Order: sequence, then C-alpha cells, then structure tokens
Amino acid sequence: MRAKLNRLWRRATWSWSPASEREASTAIVENLWLHWFPAKVAEESFSWSYSLWLGTISAFLFLILIVTGILLMFFYVPSTQLAYWSIKDIHYVVGFGWLLRNQHRWAAHLMVLAVFLHMLRVFFTGAYRAQRSTNWLVGIVLLLVTLFLSFTGYLLPWDQLAFWAVTVGTNIAKEAPVVGSALQFVLLGGTEIGQSTLVRFYVLHVVVLPAAALVLFAYHMWRVRRDGGMAVTDPAAAVVATPQDAASVGGKTYSLFGVTPGTSLETRAAGPIPDGTGVFSAPHMLRRLMLVFLAVFTVTIVLSLISGAPLEEPANATLTPNPAKAPWYFLWLQELVAITTLRLGGFTLSGGLIGGILVPGVLLMAGVLWPFFDRSPLHTVGRWFPRERRLQNGVLCVIALIMLVLVLIGMLMRGPYWQLYWPWQAWPEMPRRL
Amino acid sequence: MSSSRFSWNRDFWPLLVASIASFVVVMVVAYREYTPEWRHHTQVLRSYLTGRGAYDAAAAVPDGVQQIWLPKLDRVDRCMSCHVNYDGSISPLADLPPLYRPHPDLPYMAKHPFPTFGCTACHGGQGYALDEAGAHGLEEHWDDPLLTTKLASGSGLTRAQLMEIKCNTCHRADDRTAGTDLINMAKEIVDKKHCTSCHGLQGRGGLAASDLTYDGDLNPELLDFSTVEGPRTLLNWQVQHFKSPQQVTPHSGMPNYKLNDDQARALALLMLSWQRISFPPEYVPAARQRPPAVLPVVREVPYPPAASSPLAEQGRYVFSNRGCNTCHRVGGGKLIGPDLAGVAQRRNDRWLTTWLKDPAAVVAKDAELQVWSREFGDIIMPNQNLDDKEIEALIAYMKEFASGVSELLGTASPTPPPTPSSPAS
Repeated sequence: MRAKLNRLWRRATWSWSPASEREASTAIVENLWLHWFPAKVAEESFSWSYSLWLGTISAFLFLILIVTGILLMFFYVPSTQLAYWSIKDIHYVVGFGWLLRNQHRWAAHLMVLAVFLHMLRVFFTGAYRAQRSTNWLVGIVLLLVTLFLSFTGYLLPWDQLAFWAVTVGTNIAKEAPVVGSALQFVLLGGTEIGQSTLVRFYVLHVVVLPAAALVLFAYHMWRVRRDGGMAVTDPAAAVVATPQDAASVGGKTYSLFGVTPGTSLETRAAGPIPDGTGVFSAPHMLRRLMLVFLAVFTVTIVLSLISGAPLEEPANATLTPNPAKAPWYFLWLQELVAITTLRLGGFTLSGGLIGGILVPGVLLMAGVLWPFFDRSPLHTVGRWFPRERRLQNGVLCVIALIMLVLVLIGMLMRGPYWQLYWPWQAWPEMPRRL
Repeated sequence: MSSSRFSWNRDFWPLLVASIASFVVVMVVAYREYTPEWRHHTQVLRSYLTGRGAYDAAAAVPDGVQQIWLPKLDRVDRCMSCHVNYDGSISPLADLPPLYRPHPDLPYMAKHPFPTFGCTACHGGQGYALDEAGAHGLEEHWDDPLLTTKLASGSGLTRAQLMEIKCNTCHRADDRTAGTDLINMAKEIVDKKHCTSCHGLQGRGGLAASDLTYDGDLNPELLDFSTVEGPRTLLNWQVQHFKSPQQVTPHSGMPNYKLNDDQARALALLMLSWQRISFPPEYVPAARQRPPAVLPVVREVPYPPAASSPLAEQGRYVFSNRGCNTCHRVGGGKLIGPDLAGVAQRRNDRWLTTWLKDPAAVVAKDAELQVWSREFGDIIMPNQNLDDKEIEALIAYMKEFASGVSELLGTASPTPPPTPSSPAS
C-alpha cells in the first residue's frame, strides 16, 4: 500500500529522474521554463557584492511593470477627454487600482534607477571588454528604451504634471540641430501636445517599446551566456578551459538560430562547467531569483503604501504649473538647459542645444565608442575599481556625481520661476482661486 | 553535491525573511483595500440606528460605493458613499450625527433634484474621491474645493453667499435669480455702470478693456498680489481690485466707482462665476435678450495728442493712464464721451476743476447737462478721483486742445504712441 502510494506520488510529481548530472543538464536545457539559464552556473555568479544583482532587479521590475501595466490597460482610456478621469477611477474605485498605479509608478522609477546603476556597475568592473562590447551596446539601447518607456508613460495620466513634463521634454528634443523640429513634430503628431500625441505615446508605451525591450532583453541574456557568463567568472573559467574539457561537451550546441556545430555557445565561451564544479541552476539559481523577486516585490509595495503616484490637475495648455519640471531622470538635462541659458539684456541665448542635445549626445557617443578605445589590460575584467582603470572609472564617477547633484538640485531646490531655494526654505505661497 | 566551500543554505534565512515580509505587505494592502473610510462611516450609522431600535433603517444602510453618475455634466459624485442618508431615504431623523443628516429641504431643491444635479455642481469638491481630504477637495491638486463656511469666512462671506458662484455658473444669463442676492446686486451694477462699454462679454461689449466672458478662469498666479491686502486668492484680488483698481493695478484705466464692501464682494463673486463650464441646454435657464444700453467701444483707442510744456506733458500722462482717451477724442467727433477739441475755450478752469472733481455732482445741478447727457446714453463720466495736481496738469494739457492741434490726431495714427520720456513733436 505504502509502496503503491509512493509510486503514485512519484508519478504525479516526477515523470522521470536523471541518471547523471549530464542527463539533468539536458533536462533543464530542454525545459522551456528553465532553459533560459545554463544548466549549471559558476559559484562566482552568486556573489552579492560583485553584481549587486542589478540586472536581475531591473528584469523583475520590468516583470512587475508588465503585469501591473496589462491590468491598468483594462481601465485606462487613451483619450484627452477621458484619460484623466479614468485615472481618477483607477485610483478611487477600481479594486486594488491604487496599488496597481502606485506600484507601476514606483517600479518604473526604480527600473530607470536600476538599469542606470547596472550600467555603472558594468563599467566600473570593466565587464564590457572584448567579446562583451556587443552586449554593452545592447545595454545602452536598453537604457534608452527604458528611459523612453518611462517618458511615454509620463504623459498618459494627462494631468498637469504629465502635460508640462512632456512639453519640457519635447521642447528639448526640438533643439536638436537640423532634425529638431521634425523630431518634435513626429513625437507630438503635430505642433502641440494633443490627442495625437497621447495616442502616439500610448502605442509606444504599451506595444512598441515593451516589445523592443523584451526582444533586446532576451538577446541581452542570451548574449551573456554566449560571451562566457558574467565577467567575474572569467578567471575561474580560464583555468578549466582545456581542450579535454571542451571535448567533453559534445552533444548539443547552440547559436541564436539553432544548432551550429563548431561555433556553438559552449565552444566560444570559456568552457562549460565540468562535472564536480559549479552548481545547478535549478534549484540554486531559481531560489536566488525567487529571493530577489520577493525583495523587489516587497520594496515596490512598501513604497506604494508609503507614497502614492501623483496626480495633479487635469492637463491645461493655458495654465503652466510653476515650476514645471521634467521627470527626475531628465532633470539634470533641464538643469543644464537652465544653467546654459544666458540672458544678455533682452537677448536670450537658449541653452536647449548645449544642455539638451550636445551634452547628452556626447555622453551617449562616448558610451557607445568607449569599449573600442579602452586599452586597459584584460585581466582587470570582472573586478571592482582595479588600479589600472583608475582614470576612466574616476571620470565616470565624476560624471555620475555631477548628474546626481544636478538631479537633486532640480528635484529639491527649484521653486517657482525656477528660482533656487534651500530644501528647508519655504517656497512663496502661490495664490489660489478661493 | 558539488561545492563544500560554498554553503547554499545561506539563502535560506534571507528567503524566509523576504517571504514573510512580502506576505505581511500583501496583508497590509488587503487591509487597506477592504477598510475604506466609507465602510467605517456606514458601520457607525448602522450601529447608531440599531442602538435606537431603528432596525429597518439600519438594514437599509447600503454597503458599497454609492454614486450619482451625470454623464451630461461630466461628473461622478460619490459623496453618498459616506453621506449615505443624503436624501433622507434611510432615516428622516434630524438629530442624527451631522455626517448622516439629510440635505435640508430648501426652496430650490424641487428644481434641482439629486439625480439630475448631484452634489458637486453646487457644493464643489471632488466627486470622484472616496476619502475625506480628497472628496472635500482639500488636497493640493484640486481646483474646486468644497465650499465651506471656513473658506467663505476668509473673504467675509457666508457659505451660502460663496455658493452663489456655483448657482451663477448655470444661471449667468438670468436677470435675477431667486436666492442669489449678491449675484443679483452685481448684475445690477454691471448694467448701471455700463461695464460692457469698455469690457467684452459673451461676444458683445467693448474692446477697450479685457474680455470678461471667462474671467472666473483667470490664473491667480498671473496676478500681482504685491499691493493686495488679505488672503492671496483670486476672490480677494477681485474684491480689492473693485474697491480700488489703481491700488491693485497701478495706472489701470478702470474708474474707481467707490464701491462698498458688499458691492465689491458681489462683483467678485460674479466674476468668479464666469467660468468655462458648459452645461447641456436643458440645464440652462432661458437666456435674457436685451439690446445693449450704449454703443460699445469696438475700435482702437485713439492716441492722446502730444503736449508742448512739461506741465501739459504730465497732463497727457494722466489723460493716457486714466483711460480718458478710451471715451474722448480730440477732433474727430464724439465716442462714449464728447469730443474734447477746444474744451478749454468752452469752459473756464474753475468749471473744469469742479467737473473733474466730481462729474456726477455737476450734472445733478445742471439741467442743460442732464439733457445733453442723453446723447451719451445717460452715462455720466465716472469719477476718476484725481488729486489737485493731476487736475492742474490735465487742464494745462486740455488747453492745448485747440482746433489746430486736433488735425494731428486720429484714430488710425500710423505712428506709435509717444511715451512721456520721448516727447513727440
């Protein structure tokens, strides 16, 4: 009886048991849900201090955004007449609507932050060198997609905050040389923000950009495996990458589009993790991912409970809120625009070109080209702040610090008429109707 | 299995903590979702009624979000989720706690039933919201707060008086509306003082001053409060401006009509009620049809002629800043007021001084002037409250209004207006 029950239980839970580690690996590789990470993972990949798990955090934030976003789509109406009121309904009467909206907002802010910090981490550890330069470029595109996702979502509530943040943003885009006004026209679907802008931003926000992010993210992950896993594992992999180990791989090999003998993932990578070293992804990696997910989930909910997503007055093209601020991650640009705008008597020299186009353009180009100019020794790859990379890491530190300071000034110290106020200094009371 | 130097169990405790933490926050979320403010209020009412033996009434207290949906007004009013007994249908008792008392049966309630008008159309507030701060519109980003006694007293008004703003968003075309005494007073002043001679209103009226059709939508942030006493609100700005236009807006061409507090408040309420809110035709009382009392100023304001002496130049400054040229031309015929060419030859200094000090007093004593003013729609020149120095300068300036000078002027002068600092020839 007991044996019968045991067999029944095994049949219900396990259809098959692996006979060797190799068979177990194949089982994982062939499983749709498990095959996106390697069957076995190097122990170094589990380090908290090396990666800070920022990429994973970004991915889970994206997951939360997709789930909350799809639910929000059931209630949101992308019309200038109804958008604002549908948000009010989501906030007040849709079941758990307040949570959906707050969590979506917080996850979006955190994702921008996490993706940016992830990029900084990759730079500081030199993890963009050699074969990983392609993935660095993909990462930059993903950062841009993330920023644009957040920016397009900003407009959707159709409140004053949305309307004027997007006004500031698209006016900066207009300052681009030659294509500026055409770019603004395409973004807005006209010369001013209106229904056509809202629909454009909506479609970009819920279809085009998420699809792009998903495809790029999949490639990003695949590329990590192809490039030999995380850079921190390189030294360990180099030790075991002997011809004998490579030969032991045999069997299945992968490329993006299928089995490609000779140019497989395993042969290009530093080498598979031989029997006896590393650990199986399931359950170890799964368990770690679960932990990171729970942490991210809890943090977004706690933030949603503490502070809600803002909703200002309905959008009003004739009434500019004072001050009108861009989203925080663009505030350093707005601050640059404000600083570089010079007033000489009645003549105003707009800082839009310098602060809005040149500075971010140069930074972006530098980011794209740097892997191809970087001459630091390859053995520094996978370590935080190695001595040989002091200069370039220092420069990036300074740039990031300047951005941070500008964002903080814009967030905390800019009051009405873009005047500077200390954070503890009260702003002048703006008059009200009644 | 493989590694002895790496303990995989060390994720156990973080995982446990994270699991418990996420469970707790999900519970907090559920608690918040299922204990809204309105549920508390309905429970309090239910136990209150049960305590007094009114079991049927207690059973009639609804559980859930209640709302009046007014698609024609673009409104949803959910006030009755907390104010469940708003229409007295649960209990007509008058001694209930304030939150649950039925709406008083006021004379105009029959014409403004709840299903047609809801709550916020008259009371203000945020009908969408379900928490007290949000629903009463006290949060920062809601422009239409609940009109409360406290809010009204800040401007020296009662709550009913403040609510006249709301009445008149719909009743703006009425001559008089029963129950809106201040608004009625203001409408009378608008007629008597011929405001539309200079101001545009609903596609009529003059072009000499600002259009008032949507004056209630003025952005208070664009107004200058530096010389306004009292609270920094659009309402108070309007009150102070009506009482003393030049003090609030230096060099305003608007005459000081010496309005008392009530009149100024009444006009301010009227201005605030002129908002861009559209109501479907069945909501709007029949509009009044009356011809305008006087021909409005629909033209460019003529430039005042140049002056030759410094004193006359001062006079020209007064002439321009007090808006004399809105009503008077020098050569070219009458506008709202008579042509002033050669006025100093027709009248002596003493007469002009008396006139400028108080035009209405002169007219009251002079039968000939009373007849003459009919030609000008019975408008008597507003008292501009000029001081002696200004009058002296103005008379010196008017002495230059000889027939010869008048040829230099015209309404369609192509040259820009000479400024006091650059005397034109």
